[in-house]
Amino acid sequence: MGARVELKKCYHEAEGSEKKGKRNVFSLDVNFEMKNELVVLFGPSGSGKTTLLKCISGITQPDDGNISVDDRIYFDSGRKINLPIQKRNLGFVFQTYTLFPHMNVRKNIECGLKGWEKGNKEKRVREMLDLLHIEELETRYPSQLSGGQKQRVALARALAPKPELLLLDEPFSALDRVIRIELAEKIKHLQKKIGIPLLFITHSLDEAFLLADKILILYRGEIQQFGTPEEIFYNPKNIHVAEFVGISNIFSDAWVEEQDEGYDAGPKCTVLKSGGMRITVKPLNLKEGDKVSWGIHPENITLLLPGSGSEDQDENIYPAYVHSIIIKGPKKRIVLKLTKHEKSLTAELPAQFADALNLNTGDLCLVKMDVSKVVAF
Amino acid sequence: MIPMLDKIWFPILITFWIATISSLLVLCSGVIIAYVFARHDFRGKGLAELFVTLPLVLPPTVIGYLLVVLVGKNGFLGQLIFKVLGTGIMFTWQAAVIAAYTVSLPLMVRTAKAAIEAVDKELEHAAYILGRSELETALLITLPLAKKGILAGLVLSFARAVGEFGATLMLAGNIPGKTNTMSISIYSAFQAGNNELAQVLVLILVILSLLSISLTGKFIDREKFEV
Repeated sequence: MGARVELKKCYHEAEGSEKKGKRNVFSLDVNFEMKNELVVLFGPSGSGKTTLLKCISGITQPDDGNISVDDRIYFDSGRKINLPIQKRNLGFVFQTYTLFPHMNVRKNIECGLKGWEKGNKEKRVREMLDLLHIEELETRYPSQLSGGQKQRVALARALAPKPELLLLDEPFSALDRVIRIELAEKIKHLQKKIGIPLLFITHSLDEAFLLADKILILYRGEIQQFGTPEEIFYNPKNIHVAEFVGISNIFSDAWVEEQDEGYDAGPKCTVLKSGGMRITVKPLNLKEGDKVSWGIHPENITLLLPGSGSEDQDENIYPAYVHSIIIKGPKKRIVLKLTKHEKSLTAELPAQFADALNLNTGDLCLVKMDVSKVVAF
Repeated sequence: MIPMLDKIWFPILITFWIATISSLLVLCSGVIIAYVFARHDFRGKGLAELFVTLPLVLPPTVIGYLLVVLVGKNGFLGQLIFKVLGTGIMFTWQAAVIAAYTVSLPLMVRTAKAAIEAVDKELEHAAYILGRSELETALLITLPLAKKGILAGLVLSFARAVGEFGATLMLAGNIPGKTNTMSISIYSAFQAGNNELAQVLVLILVILSLLSISLTGKFIDREKFEV
């Protein structure tokens, strides 16, 4: 059970292209398999997220590759199979909801129940209204609904025909934060309950980590990394992924100085040389002298005051001057000038911790980067 | 007074009869043509669109002449009709319908095409994904959402058919009690110096035209569905 997608090439018509028939080449090179789980597609605009969903749904026809869901072949360029959209049996929630404006909520949901016997149809609509808690909206028209309500109706409509795969294209982009989180939890819960593979596009990092069983990071039509949120966050494979997950402190000048095989039962580790610093990281499968990049998430940096005694004992502790302090909601963002590296470092800590340190611009402090939190790729 | 009434009533009735039949034909064929133009690409589409729109810019006498060539006794269609019906249709009300249809079709196609193009394609994709065929989607989603534009096209086509003169005169002639539509009756009454009749018919046509314009305005100034 699950879905398998392998696409090598996909041309698609450029959005807003005036001249019809003029096709823009967009190369989409993806290959992944998913079980009955919630996979979040994450990447910047233009990375091919929507095109990928359009290929799976059949709105766009790829040129090369194959797509199958539960062993049913949707598309296979080699065998010249291209299942018509109508036969694919999937649910699609568009960014713009695409509720039919001239039909009320009930009619919208019924639209996908073609050929159902009348009694079953009514029962199914009722089930969907219950499932999404929208019973009271049954006779309303889309123009009479709020954004969150429209989203629920769109979900109900997509789920009504019992799809074998559910695709959601940035369904929350027009909603405010509170409703976003509420609906995201609802969707996660629904996916577990229904047990079908679900592909969800977002470009909100919070949403991705909140929802995903797995995250698929796309950049310029190629998969950068596909893994659990933990893998993505703690072991980004390359600089793009690191940037996407918010690791803004990236140092690309490092090389492997030493492979520490560990002592007795002690941990193995790799030591990098970056500017004037020696950075200890989790063991890397690299040779001494290999070039490597490393980075750390601003929230994973600990700040200490000089003279607290930890300078000499711990790894990855370096002095820095406070360059600026910015209040960012409940957090404070502190830009630090390292004394042993020309690049500056940004740290983000809860305002109460930052206040306790009583740091001011120009002060000297110690930056501590926990070995387990430093990423290298 | 009685013959006068006859001279007024017959043109009104025959005009409305011709305009109604023509508009029904325009509605059925025009919407299909508009849908195909709006949603499909095919070889020679530009040429086909040009062909359908041409009557909008051609002088009515030219259209009339071309139609005579086509459906006249020696025309390709004319011979076909003669074979099937055993009689020609020149100088009959059916000929007037053909003239009215030809000149009003482009109005419907253009208005309906614009209205169909304005329907969000994603709504159609959503319907396809829900398992609906293209025909079902057109009937359930696209055309209902383009309804106001199509109705506006219908009113325009009807008004154009009511006012049709040049092509009708060439194709159906001016046979009292048979093909003398309002426009043609006004012309011949004026020629014969029967100003009284001309004025009555003019007044009726002006009122009808005003009515149709206000109807069209109502349709075109349509409410926007919030999606």
